[in-house]
Amino acid sequence: MLLIQQLVNSLMLGSVYVTVAVAFTLTIGILNFLNFTIPTLFMLTAMVGWALANWGVPFGLSGPLPWPWALLIGILVAVVISLIIERFTFRYLKMKYGDSTEHAIPLVSSLGFLLVLENLVRLGYGTDAQRFPGPSADLTMTVFGIFFRLPQLASLIIVVFIVIGLTWLLKSSRIGRGLRAIAENPDAANILGIDTHKIVPVVFMLTGLLCGLAGALFAVNYGEVSPQMGDDIGTKAIAGMVVGGLGSVWGAVIGGLIVGLTEIMTIHFFGADTVQVAVWGLLLVALLLRPQGLFGHHAIGKGKL
Amino acid sequence: MSGYWTGILTVLAINIIFAYAIFLPVATGQLNLGGAGFQALGAYAAAFLSANYGLPAAVTLGAGALLAGAVGFLIAFPILRTRGVYLVLATFAFAEVISGLILNSETFGGPMGMAVPVFLDYQVPVALALVVTVFAFYLMSTRFGLMMRATHDDEVVADLLGVSVRGVQVAAFAIGGAFAGLAGGLYAHCFSFVEVQSFNALVSIYVLLYVLLGGTQTPWGPLVGAIFFTLLPEVLREVLPTVKLSLAWLLGLKGQVAAPGESWRFIILGVLTITMMVLRPEGLITRTMLERVRPGRHASARERSP
Amino acid sequence: MTAPLLSLVDVSKNFGGLSVISEVSFDVAQGARMALIGPNGAGKTTIFNLISGVYQPDLGQIRLEGREISRIASRKRVGLGIARSFQNIRLMPHLSVVENVMLGQQARAGSLLDMLTPISFFGHSKWRREAEGLLDEMGLDTFPGEVVATLPYGIRKKIEVVRALIAKPTILLLDEPAAGLNNTETDNLRDFLMKVSANGVTLLVVEHDMSLVRSLCDHAVVLNFGRKIYDGPTATVQNDPQVLEAYLGTRHAAEVSSEAVRVA
Repeated sequence: MLLIQQLVNSLMLGSVYVTVAVAFTLTIGILNFLNFTIPTLFMLTAMVGWALANWGVPFGLSGPLPWPWALLIGILVAVVISLIIERFTFRYLKMKYGDSTEHAIPLVSSLGFLLVLENLVRLGYGTDAQRFPGPSADLTMTVFGIFFRLPQLASLIIVVFIVIGLTWLLKSSRIGRGLRAIAENPDAANILGIDTHKIVPVVFMLTGLLCGLAGALFAVNYGEVSPQMGDDIGTKAIAGMVVGGLGSVWGAVIGGLIVGLTEIMTIHFFGADTVQVAVWGLLLVALLLRPQGLFGHHAIGKGKL
Repeated sequence: MSGYWTGILTVLAINIIFAYAIFLPVATGQLNLGGAGFQALGAYAAAFLSANYGLPAAVTLGAGALLAGAVGFLIAFPILRTRGVYLVLATFAFAEVISGLILNSETFGGPMGMAVPVFLDYQVPVALALVVTVFAFYLMSTRFGLMMRATHDDEVVADLLGVSVRGVQVAAFAIGGAFAGLAGGLYAHCFSFVEVQSFNALVSIYVLLYVLLGGTQTPWGPLVGAIFFTLLPEVLREVLPTVKLSLAWLLGLKGQVAAPGESWRFIILGVLTITMMVLRPEGLITRTMLERVRPGRHASARERSP
Repeated sequence: MTAPLLSLVDVSKNFGGLSVISEVSFDVAQGARMALIGPNGAGKTTIFNLISGVYQPDLGQIRLEGREISRIASRKRVGLGIARSFQNIRLMPHLSVVENVMLGQQARAGSLLDMLTPISFFGHSKWRREAEGLLDEMGLDTFPGEVVATLPYGIRKKIEVVRALIAKPTILLLDEPAAGLNNTETDNLRDFLMKVSANGVTLLVVEHDMSLVRSLCDHAVVLNFGRKIYDGPTATVQNDPQVLEAYLGTRHAAEVSSEAVRVA
């Protein structure tokens, strides 16, 4: 019984990782870009949401906002910042020689953004964790002795819808086809008339949305936000992406859930301190033994970045 | 010399050694985002040997560097089979595993850290930094250095010309690991205390960034990068209070503005990173720049003889 | 009759089900100046890649001086005497002219001492002097220290040839060495390559410039869609009906060959 409860908990935890892992895997799969700002966007939504819920819009434009609105604006902020990041990391990528350092330029830029954003938040609000004024924690239900928290259940359902929606988008819509064409061969995509300049921002918009949603769900479910919350989630999401296979949305789903499971089981059997070694160890072993993960494409990341 | 300046020199010296540790693999084309892991290995090896066996600093430093270098060598083979994104992630994961293992070990004090009995004054790190710098310049001036840069620019052609690409990559990675271990060992002895929390992801990111911004085409780059970013916090210390107050007022931020001074260092680094990647991704110091500064030094044979 | 220097025997290469080279066999005689020609996409660069070891043949053999080399690692082939240039110039963009040329010495400079002796900044060595000397001989009067990325196309092309030559190869594979060169430069190139040939280096040249081919090479192999369609003297290559068909298509080939018959 306890084991099943743990499994259920893993599912809940994993769904947060899944959303962020999907954001990572989309950006890598389509743009060959490991976007280190993704966990920061996650954190931004939650922190902005908290700030708005506590003090309202700056310069005295409003009083404290109700938490759903605060989070919605938080998600919007994440999307906007994601688009700004696109302008300054990806848009300016000038591949003159194609050597390995050049391929790393967007990754390095994203590291720069990570430093700036995370530390701006720290400057403004300190490093402490804060309580997020969400719905009361009493929304629980017990089914066959298994304990569910309703916000978590809602998160899980939302995540399922997102993944199904994304898969449909990529497969059937015009934008989705454009994205897949760019993933396959960016130069050919250009020649075939796909306006990469219009489509690439879509990826960044999706990234902002996914991370924002994950951040909002996290804030509601766990009630705690901090400027550092992105770091931990980022780790797990990357591990999930790698295990599932870079570039595969379903891989990110399964990978994220596996990581959630690993975490819960490790805590259960070995204690909380060992989680770091377990998850990163899992990631390292996956990278060394089977870098393409469960469903990944061989081509991604090989050769250059 | 005042304690303030000796402190800065020590940190600068250690940062320079650390910078060259990351410079070597990056100059060969491998982004190493796990520098802190190697540093931790060297630091804890030195601390352990010093605290538990009373060995002199010369031995502990050597052991730390050797251990980190050996681990770098061993792990290079599997890690360097990965490429690009995977390589960056693998080095990052490696560093996290190392710090996770240390965190969980009783022998190494876990989260409490370890005290280091033997103290080294600033002269030692400065002297070693000098040695490492000269060595780096020397290495880049040899055919081996040429092989490293060729591997960075075009692996396929380097291989076709007879360069053992894998050999060069592993060597650069291992020597870099050893330097990082040396930096860690110095850290242990100069600050008399090690705790694994100080060898974290941010450290790895920080050093990689300032090496990249300094420029990885020549051995001048890491020197410039390390100097600039080590001295930056000191400059900020002077300038910061006024700037902080005005910026906070401008953004209408409420809540705790008792921010750690550290954050500014990272914000500036972050902004500079973004700007440089847009304007000058090769870093500040490039080959072309050096050639312009040295006119006539490499005049062709025909021009030299009348 | 002396044995050929290089032999391809029934070499075939596929890429994911697509047959790129099909049962190609030809010999390159010692001291020959041979052309490898054919329409775009015929597989000429693939042949070079097979000879230099970038790819391994799926079927068939590649023999150098009688010895099968197709399983030998690409890294070791320079040491066997095979040097090449590339269709789109592949110099190291961030290295200087002389450093790029010195890379060509790599196969001859493999000892530990060679690897650890300074060749720039701290001291100049015999390797650098050799590289600078050859650059001068080739008439490349740019600063040896100039970083290659900034130099014009024609000069970079020549530097690549120098890099291949400094390896002191027995056979030199040149992939479109005259591409982008004007008539005078092409003549200079031809004279230079004749000198190289006179020094005993065997030449295998991929080229589209037929006048260069005719004046430099006495023998030619023509590929089309990965198959060999001609193997004989350069003098008669343009009369061969299969070659004409490959380049011009059946209808035009018929016109041209009937023209040729009338004129001859």
